[in-house]
Amino acid sequence: MVSRRAVLAAWILGAACPGATAVAAQDYPTKPITLIVPWTAGGSTDITMRAMAEVAAKHLGQPIVIDNRAGGGGTVGPATMAATAKPDGYTLSQIPVTVFRLPLMQKTSWDAQKDFTYIIHLTGYTFGIIAKGDGPFKTFGDMIAFAKANPGKVTYGTPGAGTSLHIGMETIAARQGVKFTHVPFKGNAETNAAVLGGHTMVAADSSGWKPLVQAGQLRLLAVWTADRLKDFPDVPTLRDLGMPYVFDSPFGIAGPKGMDPKIVAKIHDAFKKALDDPGVQATLTKYDMVVNYKNSADYAKAIDENIAAERQIIEQLGLARASN
Amino acid sequence: MPEILASVGQGFGVALQPLNLLACFIGVFIGTLVGVLPGIGPISAMSLLLPVTLSGTPEAGIIMMAGIYYGSMYGGSTTSILVNIPGEAASVVTCLDGHQMARQGRAGPALGMAALSSFIAGTLAIIALMFVAPALSRVAIAFGPAEYFSLMVLGLTLLAFLTQGAILKSLIMATAGGVIGLIGLDSITAQPRLTFDRLELFDGIGLVPLVMGLFGVAEVLTNIERRLSRDVIAARIGSLLPTRDDWRASAAPIGRGTVLGFLLGILPGGGAVIASFAAYALERRFSRDPGRFGRGAIEGVAAPEAANNAAAGGAFIPLMTLGIPPNVVMALLLGAFVVHGLQPGPLMMTQNAGLFWGIVASMYVGNVMLLVLNLPLIGMWVQLLRLPYNLLFPLILLFSIVGVYASQNNVFDIYVMIGFGLFGYLCRKFGYEPAPMVLGFVLGPMLENNLRKALILSQGELSGFLTRPISAACLLLAAALLVSATLPTLRRKRDAIALEEGG
Amino acid sequence: MRINAQAVAAAFWLSLAAFLIVAGRDLGIGSASEPGSGFLVFWGGVLIALFAAGMAVESVRGAPESLASLWKGARADRVLIVSAALAAYAVSLTTLGFLLATPPLMLVLLRVVDPVPWRQAVPIALGATLVVWWVLARLLAIQLPAGPLG
Repeated sequence: MVSRRAVLAAWILGAACPGATAVAAQDYPTKPITLIVPWTAGGSTDITMRAMAEVAAKHLGQPIVIDNRAGGGGTVGPATMAATAKPDGYTLSQIPVTVFRLPLMQKTSWDAQKDFTYIIHLTGYTFGIIAKGDGPFKTFGDMIAFAKANPGKVTYGTPGAGTSLHIGMETIAARQGVKFTHVPFKGNAETNAAVLGGHTMVAADSSGWKPLVQAGQLRLLAVWTADRLKDFPDVPTLRDLGMPYVFDSPFGIAGPKGMDPKIVAKIHDAFKKALDDPGVQATLTKYDMVVNYKNSADYAKAIDENIAAERQIIEQLGLARASN
Repeated sequence: MPEILASVGQGFGVALQPLNLLACFIGVFIGTLVGVLPGIGPISAMSLLLPVTLSGTPEAGIIMMAGIYYGSMYGGSTTSILVNIPGEAASVVTCLDGHQMARQGRAGPALGMAALSSFIAGTLAIIALMFVAPALSRVAIAFGPAEYFSLMVLGLTLLAFLTQGAILKSLIMATAGGVIGLIGLDSITAQPRLTFDRLELFDGIGLVPLVMGLFGVAEVLTNIERRLSRDVIAARIGSLLPTRDDWRASAAPIGRGTVLGFLLGILPGGGAVIASFAAYALERRFSRDPGRFGRGAIEGVAAPEAANNAAAGGAFIPLMTLGIPPNVVMALLLGAFVVHGLQPGPLMMTQNAGLFWGIVASMYVGNVMLLVLNLPLIGMWVQLLRLPYNLLFPLILLFSIVGVYASQNNVFDIYVMIGFGLFGYLCRKFGYEPAPMVLGFVLGPMLENNLRKALILSQGELSGFLTRPISAACLLLAAALLVSATLPTLRRKRDAIALEEGG
Repeated sequence: MRINAQAVAAAFWLSLAAFLIVAGRDLGIGSASEPGSGFLVFWGGVLIALFAAGMAVESVRGAPESLASLWKGARADRVLIVSAALAAYAVSLTTLGFLLATPPLMLVLLRVVDPVPWRQAVPIALGATLVVWWVLARLLAIQLPAGPLG
């Protein structure tokens, strides 16, 4: 897709005229942009990011090259960018929620509130609570009632400790005044099998349960999105159940700290258009991702709020790092 | 029964359409390629080709993706046999006897047997997939944390049969492997363990760089410190195909390997690696002359290769019937279904019968293609061994490095590989075998994770492991195996072997 | 001085075991009915210590090999050169990119250990680089570090 000669030419040109930052913001972008996607290629996050980058590139007039740098639960890519890249708008990174959460749990090389220039908040995932199709829990209320009568007896599976699903379930438990027992599995597939096999009573996971729910083998008790799902219009959201939460492990795009606001605006506009593109919307729907748009200012503000809320629940769970 | 046959016929109708035949061929061809290239497994190839399949029909796209998967299982044994580098993790055990055969000038029969046993096991697994898929999907979900824990214990007892001579050294390597497997975020508490504050270690050490270091790099380092002019592998190359005696020795191991591989392949998280280890250990246990293993026994190639290909077939069961992918590769395949707007699951066999049976039928076709593709290549691979080692080893190192890098796009993995290369080199010097470390590395973290999950679920009751029937059966079998391994008669036998080994 | 090879190995394993035992304790061992993060790390360390102690005993009783005998007739310098070359390659890979970093590595490997004549070594180094690059980057569409050549 990217003509190598054009890249080379752009690179030489870029090297030939250094230091012209004011002009750079005017003309941005004059060379291809690297977008770090901190997940391996081919996953749902990677594919949806690629779809958006392709459309955004058209609006920016320069190709966006995806650089897959997996590791550290999606933090290695952003951390490398924060440590090494120049804030010239040519290196950007997708920012998963682990970037904010991990520093609460352990010592890290970055400060989520200081080391990034947040550009645009894009999408989130579809999460939900599932129970066995022929099991005793018909509704979310059944589960809570059982948990109230039998503290700690409701076991739930998640794809791992410290994931949005774990933290979401604990937030719900705290709000409802009940106690669940958390059973962390490795990855998404195992949680469905655990509920089907009766090993855990319920599970909280992303939309891998869809076919099993449609076949009646699993029952969807509640979804964690802002709105009800088209496929399951009868399943309540957490808001419907009287809890002011949306958990969707949302992600956006950021650059290194200290970016020129004009460049930020250009990137924001391009990705906003990508988000509105029907092709991108179709891709998002396929992977059960929901649009969760915030502009640059709201994104930065939301992060401060998010960190404050998560700090509280992480401390409750005993996951917080020792203060040192 | 007649309905199944009708469905199969319908499936072949789909699979034999020219476009789908082409997709199948491209898939198995790429699969063979990535299988042969060490380090580059089906995961990287499939994830990168996923977008390409978008342009075609769902059938063609998924047939191609599936072809890459079982094609890579086929090709993985080639480098194991030729240069002692497992093309992918499931071929680690194939190194043990396969490379010895190559050293004795029997690379041809080893490669031939690997291809043929893969073909037989692959085909049998597809037949089994057709007839028992719905019934066996229940097995996949019957395994909870307690059952997994006991299965892992059973897996670890295989160590006693995996190695020759110094059992103490094997045990220490397996334990160390298990601990290395624990590096990274603890999945129960999200606490970082043994990460030395390195972000790259939070996701743990990768299996690919570990295996490539311990086998590939270490092998090269061991070879180059001696005189190089000497050909590492005997120049004389005998026949290219297995002899009648080879077949007689391998028939039963292929059968046992197939059954074992198929059953372990169904289990989420189990899969091809454990299946190949287990099949090898099983053959060594039941062999009348276990001393031959590790020195070029053809059963030591036939059984694990059959097992890992059968496991590839078994792994389709939970995916197709429940929509639950039992391993990363299957998760990618699930992704391929989803891209095309299809959801594998309980409803797929009825709602998309043509597609389901078309994919299954394409696997038959693909297996035949693989055999046709691979048998003539054997002659070419064997010629490769005639390359002088001072030309060959830089190429081996290049392929290893690139393979390790490409599997995660991560330079850190190259350091890990070099580190394990040096460690593996020292291990060889001091007489330690690397295979037990790989087994420990795979099983250790699963053992730990499932033990802790099981105890969370049983609220600390240890008796749960014995009251649940599957779990109890696994533990009993493990105990029986251990007792039989330490029985005096067998003991003497092994000591005799060890003595021979040392002398 | 004759150094007993197996005793050296045992000492290595014992120090690893000591590290694991301490690390496991710091992580929290928990109990048999509620294992903590460090449970298996700790017990892994204990097991390694036990096995290593067994080996230490064996190393004294049996006919001990000396450390030097393991490297008798071996060219350990080659091992070091090759490892260093690989490490240097890994360090320079991201900045130089695959196409610039690989030919020098191949030349070092082809020339330093057991010299291949230059007229063979140069074409092999360049040819292998290009073929691998073509297969991976073009055929399999795998990302390799691009470096300044983009």
